[in-house]
Amino acid sequence: MEFLELLAWMKVDSIATLSIILLAGMFFLLAIGMPLGFASAFLAVAVLIMKFGPELLYGSFGRGPLSVLGQAIYRQMTNYVLISVPLFIFMASLLERSGIAKDMYNSLSMWLSRTRGGIAIVTSLMAVLMAAMSGIIGGEVVLLGLIALPQMLRLGYNQNLAIGTICASGSLGTMIPPSIVLIMYGLVTETSIKSLFTAAFLPGFMLASFFIIYIIATTQIDKTKAPLPPDDPDAPRGTEKTLMFVGFLSKFFIWAGGALIVRNLFLTVTNQNAVEEGVDPIALGMVSDLPYLIGLVVISAALMFFVVGKERSKAGWEMGKGLVAPIVVIGVVLGSIYMGITGITEAAGMGAIAVFVIGTIRREMSFEIVWDSLMRTLKSTGTILWVTIGASALAAAYTLAGGPTYVANMIVAADMPTMSIILVMMLIFLIMGMFMDWIGIVLLIMPVFLPIVSKLPVEELGFLGHLDPQHVAIWFGVLFCMNMQVSFLSPPFGPAAFYLKSVAPSHITLIDIFRGFLPFILLQLLALTVMLTWPQIVTVFL
Amino acid sequence: MESESLWLGPMRKPVRLIMLAFVGVTALIYAWLVFNKIFVTDAIGMHEMIRPAEGGPIVTIMLYAILGSLLFAGLYLSDFKGDIEPEPDGFFDIFSLVTSRICMIMVALIVLVMFYEVISRYVFSRPTLWANELSLWIASFVFLLAGLYAMQQRSHIRIYVIYDMMPRWMQKASDALSTFLIVFFTFSLVWGGYNDAKTRALRMETFGTAWDPPLPGTVKAAILIVIILVTIQAISNLIADWNKLPEHHSGAEVDETEIAHLRETLEK
Repeated sequence: MEFLELLAWMKVDSIATLSIILLAGMFFLLAIGMPLGFASAFLAVAVLIMKFGPELLYGSFGRGPLSVLGQAIYRQMTNYVLISVPLFIFMASLLERSGIAKDMYNSLSMWLSRTRGGIAIVTSLMAVLMAAMSGIIGGEVVLLGLIALPQMLRLGYNQNLAIGTICASGSLGTMIPPSIVLIMYGLVTETSIKSLFTAAFLPGFMLASFFIIYIIATTQIDKTKAPLPPDDPDAPRGTEKTLMFVGFLSKFFIWAGGALIVRNLFLTVTNQNAVEEGVDPIALGMVSDLPYLIGLVVISAALMFFVVGKERSKAGWEMGKGLVAPIVVIGVVLGSIYMGITGITEAAGMGAIAVFVIGTIRREMSFEIVWDSLMRTLKSTGTILWVTIGASALAAAYTLAGGPTYVANMIVAADMPTMSIILVMMLIFLIMGMFMDWIGIVLLIMPVFLPIVSKLPVEELGFLGHLDPQHVAIWFGVLFCMNMQVSFLSPPFGPAAFYLKSVAPSHITLIDIFRGFLPFILLQLLALTVMLTWPQIVTVFL
Repeated sequence: MESESLWLGPMRKPVRLIMLAFVGVTALIYAWLVFNKIFVTDAIGMHEMIRPAEGGPIVTIMLYAILGSLLFAGLYLSDFKGDIEPEPDGFFDIFSLVTSRICMIMVALIVLVMFYEVISRYVFSRPTLWANELSLWIASFVFLLAGLYAMQQRSHIRIYVIYDMMPRWMQKASDALSTFLIVFFTFSLVWGGYNDAKTRALRMETFGTAWDPPLPGTVKAAILIVIILVTIQAISNLIADWNKLPEHHSGAEVDETEIAHLRETLEK
């Protein structure tokens, strides 16, 4: 091993030099188009060489510090929560190929057809529901672009409003649970994914409601932006429609309540819900919950028969039944997670089963569709997972070299105002977001940033009110998601624009699309400001 | 599913027959095992399924039948080109395609295992000891081999902003450098991890749980093997793409076939 001695100069003593070489190397390798995961994996080796020197690493075959790479990869491969990633992708691609989205859109637009800006509001609502079903973006923008854009343009909606609504709402998938971004963030930073989901709820809905309020306000101020569709004399209107909606809701609650009662009785008969000390009660599954459930059914039935009338309820059900499938899927996925039935991974599996069963009932599933979805799933899984492999190797090597601690100490010692450190980080997220997928940012930058954030004085985070120290990681994760929302839309590389461009009529250029984003980017920045000034927004439901 | 044969040619029919035979045998033994489990006490269960020494010849046959079904299903299904896939043109592509088909079946298996576990835990209050570990075990292979498929499909995340501006000879040089660095990483990984993987694989180290599958024993070695395969695929890509014209990449990868499929679904 003579020549290894000749390479001894590769060993670098100062961690600062090592970090700079690492950063430069990353930029160089990404610039020449090396796949992100493999670039990180190679740099992991490079870090180890710089830390320990070639002699120690390659002196004897089969062992040495290089084995940390294999161990880091092994830890990722045997991570149970990580299985939820392919399962959620599988579920989303099955969902895309079923007609559930289309029916949901038709149902929603029937209820809001006489409202000004109705289709735009429907698009936002639908995006929220779809976001609650799966955690993927991209597909959602494409789907909304195919369904809603032609209709809005045909009705003479303002083009910018239509484009902005579709892309901004279509990006909500990462904010509203279940979100793959939050799952990966939770895995990297070892934060509870369930808490992350709960925390992201309110900011996500806040952002969605900003969009809807903006749509209502702007269409009321300038009525030419959203002309009403031509009047259909047969369509129900006014109070009639409201009554029908109540009829639909009561019919839905009768079914839902009935199903929950059956479940409750089943649990009672099999004695699974016995009251025990120290065992969490099953949500809506205890005997004491029965009166409420029965009450719900009775009130709904009374509403249906005496207030709305049976005929009207039936008509209402016909108009609204497109909403049932999505609500069932959301119930299965989020219900499993929040009612403590299963973990994230199993909830994803059950979601896939639910979509498959609904699709089969609708006679839409075939071997080709399932096979095609599996193919997509495998492709995306490979893409995401191998960034994870590379990044975890790099994170392990860099941590072994003492990198994150060094960077955190340096930043804290620089004595900058806390909030400006956060702002600089957000700026870095935005810039990185232009070039890199969210997955790269979560895996490569979070292991460096989060130690810094948790070393910052917690009482200086936010302007109004303060966080508990144990919630800092959760807050930062949601903040990161909100940042990603902005980078999905921000020119020049905002992916949402490219997704929409691929399905928009050819006269709509990329410039047009980005122009449509402007008001929505401002709304996102407003939501970001709220999160920064009042960080407890994430802990409301925790 | 009658489309052009990718590589099996006249062998497609025989491969299909062998696949059906293996699947048939697997299904028969499975039915027999389930029947026994229900009606016979101390029947062969999941515990014996991964310990052929305790379960007797039937377990060995079953394991080989499953292996054969997966392998031949992989071979048969890899003969059909997926809508989203480009034509395979590298020397290693077919191998990656076969493993990808096996992985797709395994993803569906994970879903089924989880479904079984949730049903038996919440409906019959009889949680299984093996479902979580089985899905973890299958998933670790899916995770690894998915990377091979992604490499063959060239879908690993890359940043094209600067790459697209380079002249073609510089792109070639960059690709060659990338591939060389991947080879170097694989070399280092194997160099550092060989002993660890070998000792664990030789004593089939188990997971240390109730069902106790040999998870570390198999997965540690699989990591090294699959990374070597991915590296071979990277070299195969480099050779296959050497004389291709430069492609242009937009900001987000938009999948034309996917859009066509969506339109089809919406117009139904």
